[in-house]
Amino acid sequence: MFSALSSLQPRQFLTQILNFALVLSTAFMLWKGLSVATDSPSPIVVVLSGSMEPAFQRGDLLFLWNRGMNTQIGEVVVYNVKGKDIPIVHRVVRRYGGGEQPLKLLTKGDNNLADDTELYARGQDYLERSQDIIGSVVGYVPFVGYVTILLSEHPWLKTVMLGIMGVMVVLQRE
Amino acid sequence: MSSPKIAVYSLSDLKNTTDDALPNYLTSLKFRQSHYLTDIRLALGYSAVIIAAITFYADWKLGWERTKYGTFWAVLAYFILNGALTFWTWGVERGKVFVGEIEHQSVGRNTISIASSVAKHTPIYNLTVSYTNSKGVEKKLELSSPFTRWFDVDGFFITKPFQQWLASEVPIIGQIDTKNIPGAGSGSGKVNGTSEAMAVVVEQKVDVQTPRKTTGSEAAPPSTRSRKAKKAADR
Repeated sequence: MFSALSSLQPRQFLTQILNFALVLSTAFMLWKGLSVATDSPSPIVVVLSGSMEPAFQRGDLLFLWNRGMNTQIGEVVVYNVKGKDIPIVHRVVRRYGGGEQPLKLLTKGDNNLADDTELYARGQDYLERSQDIIGSVVGYVPFVGYVTILLSEHPWLKTVMLGIMGVMVVLQRE
Repeated sequence: MSSPKIAVYSLSDLKNTTDDALPNYLTSLKFRQSHYLTDIRLALGYSAVIIAAITFYADWKLGWERTKYGTFWAVLAYFILNGALTFWTWGVERGKVFVGEIEHQSVGRNTISIASSVAKHTPIYNLTVSYTNSKGVEKKLELSSPFTRWFDVDGFFITKPFQQWLASEVPIIGQIDTKNIPGAGSGSGKVNGTSEAMAVVVEQKVDVQTPRKTTGSEAAPPSTRSRKAKKAADR
């Protein structure tokens, strides 16, 4: 199979490589386009824990929107805690400021007993709307996120998948 | 010419192998191939990919907040280039497998472009040939033939019948490659085509058995050579 690849003319070889590169880059740029449209660095996230049950289960896929800055009590938001890189999805239960002052929020998981003060960074008692929040949940699809949970819990699966995809695209001329 | 064995039931294998053989044949007749269609496609595609790569690197190094506005422009540029690439492939290239020109005493100066196509699940190779002479007169013709004409049952591409098909069906090729036109009166219609190809294959097998030099029996020489080598070894 690889001998077939090496016997290609340079232009054909470049075309095969291009086809593969286009598949990857299109996926990446669609993602970035969605980021730009929603103004969120990570517009689609997967729920990893059961802290929001019964609203969201583990494996649910959430769609975020980060353009409405005046977040209200009751909205479900995804936030990043400084120093930790796992985003958390919880509900807003209290808000301070707003309008002229910067908006500050307190969140809590529906299935948790206490609010999130414990989860925040050391010395942090609330979230800054403009800095910590990466989006409010505007839609979800149940279960489909399980694939990514599998992929993130077994990182080698990612490598294998990417490898298989690459080899397929380079070798096929369908 | 040694082309690899292909799966005879795979339509894309049949088409790709034939598509590759066509420019080889024409350039051997001193047609000058122009690569500008492919080159522009590659340029469009690779510029898009490079933009995506830069965006990826910037995002990884600097993070979202600092690359937000740059990313907006990059996404815009990427999809414009991608749209242009799609337009180029489907609107301009349209399956062209050869674009070039020829200057020959028998035909004068001509530009030529050949596009190939295959209908779904139909093992028939269709070509659209158009060529324009120096006076600006354009000739356009369409021809088609079953792949069985130049693929044997084992999936080997047989150069001779393919070249004969082109030389006899396309006047401008026939006028240059006169030795590839089979005897007068033959060489028209698809029905004849298959039997003709079979005749040629049989002819070539005869060639293999009798090491007699005939024109263009390109499958024959290797086996004759090995036969000679064997004889030499016997002695």
